[in-house]
Amino acid sequence: MLAAYLLIGAGLFVLGLIGFVTRRNLIIMFLCTELMFQGIVLNLVAFGRYPLDGHPTLDGQAFGLFLLAVAAAEAALALALIVLLYRYRDTLDPNVWKLLKDE
Amino acid sequence: MLAQASTTLLPLKLYATLPFWPLLGAIVVGLMIALRARAERAWWPIVATVAVSALLAMVFVFDAGRITAHESGGEAHATAAQHAVGETSREVAHAGEGSATGGEWTPEPARVPGKTITLFRWISLGERTSLQGGQWIAATFYFDSLTGVMIGFVTFVSLMVVIYSIGYMRDHHGHPERGYERFFAFLGLFVFSMATLVFAGNFVLLYLGWELVGLCSYLLIGFYYPKPSAAAAAKKAFIVNRIGDFGFALGIFSIYLFVKPLTHAGENPLDYAVVFHYIHQLAPGQITTIGLLLLCGALGKSAQFPLYVWLPDAMEGPSPVSALIHAATMVTAGVYMIARCSPIFAASQAVLNVIVVLGVIGAVMAATMAMAQFDMKRILAYSTISQLAYMFVALGCGAPDSGIFHVYTHAFFKALLFLGAGSVMHQMGHVIDLRKFSGLGRILPHTRNTMLVGCLALAGFPLLAGFWSKDEIVHASFQYHPAVGVLMLATAAMTAYYTFRMYFLCFHGPTRLPDEAGEHPHESPRVMTIPLYVLAVGAALAGYLGVTVAGGAHSFLGFLRPHGLLHHYLHGSTIIVDENAHAGGGLWLMYLSALLAIGGIAAAWLRYGTAPRVDPDSITLGRLWSIWNAKYYVDEFYDRAFVRPLRGLGRLCFAIDRNGIDGLIWVVTAVPRGLGAGLRLIQNGAMQTYALGMAIGVTALVLIWRWMEAAGG
Amino acid sequence: MPSALFVILLTLGGAGLYLAMPGGRFHVGRAALIVLLGAAAVLVSLIAPLAGPHEHGLWLALLALVAVVGALRVITHPRPVYSALYFLLVIIAVGGMLVLLDATFLAAALLIIYAGAIMVTYMFVIMLAQKGGGPAPYDRAAREPLIGVATGFVLLAALTGRVLGAGGELGGAPATPEASLSNIVQVGARLLTQYVVGVEITGVLLLVAMVGAITIARRRAVTEQEGEFR
Repeated sequence: MLAAYLLIGAGLFVLGLIGFVTRRNLIIMFLCTELMFQGIVLNLVAFGRYPLDGHPTLDGQAFGLFLLAVAAAEAALALALIVLLYRYRDTLDPNVWKLLKDE
Repeated sequence: MLAQASTTLLPLKLYATLPFWPLLGAIVVGLMIALRARAERAWWPIVATVAVSALLAMVFVFDAGRITAHESGGEAHATAAQHAVGETSREVAHAGEGSATGGEWTPEPARVPGKTITLFRWISLGERTSLQGGQWIAATFYFDSLTGVMIGFVTFVSLMVVIYSIGYMRDHHGHPERGYERFFAFLGLFVFSMATLVFAGNFVLLYLGWELVGLCSYLLIGFYYPKPSAAAAAKKAFIVNRIGDFGFALGIFSIYLFVKPLTHAGENPLDYAVVFHYIHQLAPGQITTIGLLLLCGALGKSAQFPLYVWLPDAMEGPSPVSALIHAATMVTAGVYMIARCSPIFAASQAVLNVIVVLGVIGAVMAATMAMAQFDMKRILAYSTISQLAYMFVALGCGAPDSGIFHVYTHAFFKALLFLGAGSVMHQMGHVIDLRKFSGLGRILPHTRNTMLVGCLALAGFPLLAGFWSKDEIVHASFQYHPAVGVLMLATAAMTAYYTFRMYFLCFHGPTRLPDEAGEHPHESPRVMTIPLYVLAVGAALAGYLGVTVAGGAHSFLGFLRPHGLLHHYLHGSTIIVDENAHAGGGLWLMYLSALLAIGGIAAAWLRYGTAPRVDPDSITLGRLWSIWNAKYYVDEFYDRAFVRPLRGLGRLCFAIDRNGIDGLIWVVTAVPRGLGAGLRLIQNGAMQTYALGMAIGVTALVLIWRWMEAAGG
Repeated sequence: MPSALFVILLTLGGAGLYLAMPGGRFHVGRAALIVLLGAAAVLVSLIAPLAGPHEHGLWLALLALVAVVGALRVITHPRPVYSALYFLLVIIAVGGMLVLLDATFLAAALLIIYAGAIMVTYMFVIMLAQKGGGPAPYDRAAREPLIGVATGFVLLAALTGRVLGAGGELGGAPATPEASLSNIVQVGARLLTQYVVGVEITGVLLLVAMVGAITIARRRAVTEQEGEFR
């Protein structure tokens, strides 16, 4: 039973990763990070429900809640930044921002 | 043993401060430069401090004689040194007694007649334990009468030169030249260096002074460093000196090497006293080695054949520098060193022979070259080489006291001649070529008068300073070998001839002026002419310290005899005189040399008295004159034989360095550089590339983990 | 579970995803999507037996299909608005799965926060950055899709291979929830006892994020084209 959830979680996580790497839209990229969060939440809760040592725990759910809060904070900040960047360059393409290098 | 206070007028410690006064002056000038004080004032610290040194030196001359007389223990000499005038108490075979036997001369045992003053401990020798044994090279000063003579004329002539420079280093409006203060600072340093060299009590300190003098000459010859020729001349002087100094350093090393095994605890194998004490216990080969290596240094510093080439080029410096180098502070060092080390040199006849041969070659060569030059200062420079060669002949003939006598008289008239030439140059707008002007006697009367005295002294005109000292050397050389004596006499005649050739071309004939001289050239200011007159008095009278007024059949002109106060004074010092050396020749020789001098002057008058525009000698002598004019092509020969091969070697090394070694390093660095260039493409600034890299990394980690899990079972 | 079939499936899925990425070299988006959906369906049918005798097996398979297909569309759809809506679908599916896992409170929170709050923000920003005339050029072409997809699927293979290798024995028996207390009470008790510091810090984090978002959003930007304040 656990394996099914783990497979789904892995699928969601990897799809989010692929999207983050390949899509050229800042908003979609952050959406993809949310996708990866979903895979992780699924993982955490599934492990809590089907524990390897036989003792079920609620820690997974607690972490899931923290994760929600962090996701909310991240979404607020990231979207604010995206809006700012969009105002500068009139585009959402992350490739116009190439400042992360030594020149 | 008398108490020290009664033997000296001033405490010895006070004399020990003598070299440091000009250094203090130089430091003050340096501070003035740092504080951007007005350049015009820069002369006074140097003049004041050199004057203090000169005054101290004057008193020291008396005390040095007393010390030497006292320490050497000979009461007879002591009294002789103190009341020598009119007495001929030395058992020297005088000029008149030409029949005195020559034969083998065995040097007397070395004496150590001076006082050693220890300033501070300087360098420790050997292993740690030797610190307790007192094995230190200390900064020591050594005072004896030789030191006294040297320091006396060195500081006096330096003082005159410094005073003269106050006026010389200014333009016609009295404004100081660029670098005025720098010039005076260097002069102070120069005097300090020479005084240290003279006072030094061991070979290490001597070497320090030796090198400092070389450094100062470099700085001053290259004073007009924006001029390429001045910079080249400075480098040439320094490099040629280095060749000699290399040998000198090896000589000092070999002294340490050979003398060290003989010394007892507490004795420093580099102290003069110790070296001179043990020198006779060395093998003859060792003594010869030491002597030749030390001679090598003297050849460089005193500009002797074959290392003389730097001295004529040194004319690129300002004229007072030339005067200082030629008279007081540089070229005399080699003569002084050989005289100081005469216990070493006297112990090896082979080295003495080498000195004589080199001296004769240098004397004749330089005199002939001087006869075919037109640059006034170059004529004087070759004359200096020639006169120094005289001194070397004296040293080699076993008459170092005569050599020192000639150094002393030469200092006065050579400084005078250079300062006079500088005065001409200053008024002629820095033109010194004899073909471009003539008949300056009417415009520069004071310069003319003093130059005349200097020229007569240099020419060996009877009764002037140069006559007495030169005559003694001629006597000694006849005693050594008649051929050497004849060559010396010939050189003396040539000296008279070229000296007055220069004089007549400059001051006689119709008045011609170069364009650079301006409209109305006039006599130099008093600050320049007064030192000229003082030196002229010295050039005329300085020789009388070395002669004795005494009547008799063996006296020159009936009332003068060679050897006087100076010889008695020097007798107690470390100088070892071959008593037979003064026995050569006779009274007839004095008359002959006087006649030759007058003859040379007369010949010059006949040929150059009207200052002809075309040099008559160049027509008469033809090819020979051209060779002299080209200085025997020695510079060209050195260029071909040494400079070019060395430069080729340098180019080869440079090429190997640039292409071989640098190429190797380039190859070594190419690997990381190529890697870096490749990796740089990855760092393109795009965030998603980095994210992709992270994803690949995580994937790789998981794969590795799976692989390890599979491998671990 | 034949691993060969699994590898073929993953390869097929990867190839399909590659073809389905926007701006792919071959304009076969629809066909690729069909291949992809087929692969996803087979994958889910593989998963369903893993659910074994569980009573919710069918539900789980359905939700998994929705989640995976939604996720695929999130990353392949050229229009951000549709991506966001598909993401909503994923959220709902995940919420459903959380209910199946007895995490009812978390499921509710997920739906409320994501669907209610975060996605609305996303929608706002997407609308704000939208221009007329179809998808923006940067949305029409993916960036290095081949290497991205290949990396992702190698990672997926490595992860799922491990899970499938363990088979159905992975994990213990489903723990029986304590019936006396509701899920929300239990989670609340856990949060306010063991994780009380975390809760506090999260509160601070949210506050800071709020302040930061306001500060950033209020900043005036100088556009390079116009060179003046906007």
